Amino acid sequence: MVPDSSIPTHGSDRLWLMKAEAQALKGHLDGLLLATLEDGPRHGYAVKEALRDGSGGRFDLPTGTIYPALHRLEDSGLIAGSWSTVDGRRRRTYRLTAEGLRRLHADRSNWHAFAAAITALLERRPWPATR
Amino acid sequence: MASHPLIDSYLAGLATRLPADSVDELADGLIETWQHHLARGLTPTAAARTAIAEFGTPHRIVDEFVAQAPGRRTARLLLATGPVVGGCWGASLIAGKVWTWPIQPLLAAAYALALLAVVLTLLAAGTTRHSYRRTRLGTIGALTLVVLDAAMITAVAVLTPLFAWPMAVAIPASLARIGLTIQALPKPRTG
Repeated sequence: MVPDSSIPTHGSDRLWLMKAEAQALKGHLDGLLLATLEDGPRHGYAVKEALRDGSGGRFDLPTGTIYPALHRLEDSGLIAGSWSTVDGRRRRTYRLTAEGLRRLHADRSNWHAFAAAITALLERRPWPATR
Repeated sequence: MASHPLIDSYLAGLATRLPADSVDELADGLIETWQHHLARGLTPTAAARTAIAEFGTPHRIVDEFVAQAPGRRTARLLLATGPVVGGCWGASLIAGKVWTWPIQPLLAAAYALALLAVVLTLLAAGTTRHSYRRTRLGTIGALTLVVLDAAMITAVAVLTPLFAWPMAVAIPASLARIGLTIQALPKPRTG
């Protein structure tokens, strides 16, 4: 029997899972970034720390890649940025806009429905008999 | 607080490829990361190396900025919708017998050349993966296309001797494109 190359085995397991996780994270990055701002304004580094700490260290993105995503959300009107000066450096701090908050609630609601469906399917239980 | 030569060199590299505001923001985050590692007890050089590793390679950061640049996104949107709007205008001009309109051939040629230049500019901006400067061409191309759309609508309103039905689709399509383009233009990061 020819092994299915799409099924990960041994050493490739971890790499495959990491790629799958990165892809899944990419699809939810906007919602996750919005969620980090729900409790109040943060600057880029603090957003990155909130993502890492909030995920128990699982989502530890390269810090430099957070900024372009924040700029895109700002261009979309989901967050708003403002400049300040801290220790002689220019700092841009972001806060959720009303539209961003609405989008976060919608993303959260969609995720709960999606996760509930996946959990229901993955949990061990007897499947209905088919004819 | 002073930075470290490794961090200064890293930021100087980014400054040649990204807008000044973005580099200021990256500098703030990188120096904060460095200070965090200094507070953990690392030496200044080890802290700088760790902070830079956490930030990602300059190549990756620039590519991420390019991928999400507003000029590139606008260029791709206009390239995707261009054939539809162009097709509507092509049908309108044929149905409206454009060859009978009182337009100087030189002016018509200049319009065609400007349109070609816009397409090439949008292609350059929409296909780049590593150059932030090229993404800015998307904004220039988009603004020029707004002018060309407005010129075409004006020409139809003023010069056309007969109204052809495809114009009823082409004019709203161009007006919608003008509105979408203006909305998609990059906004200054003030505030």
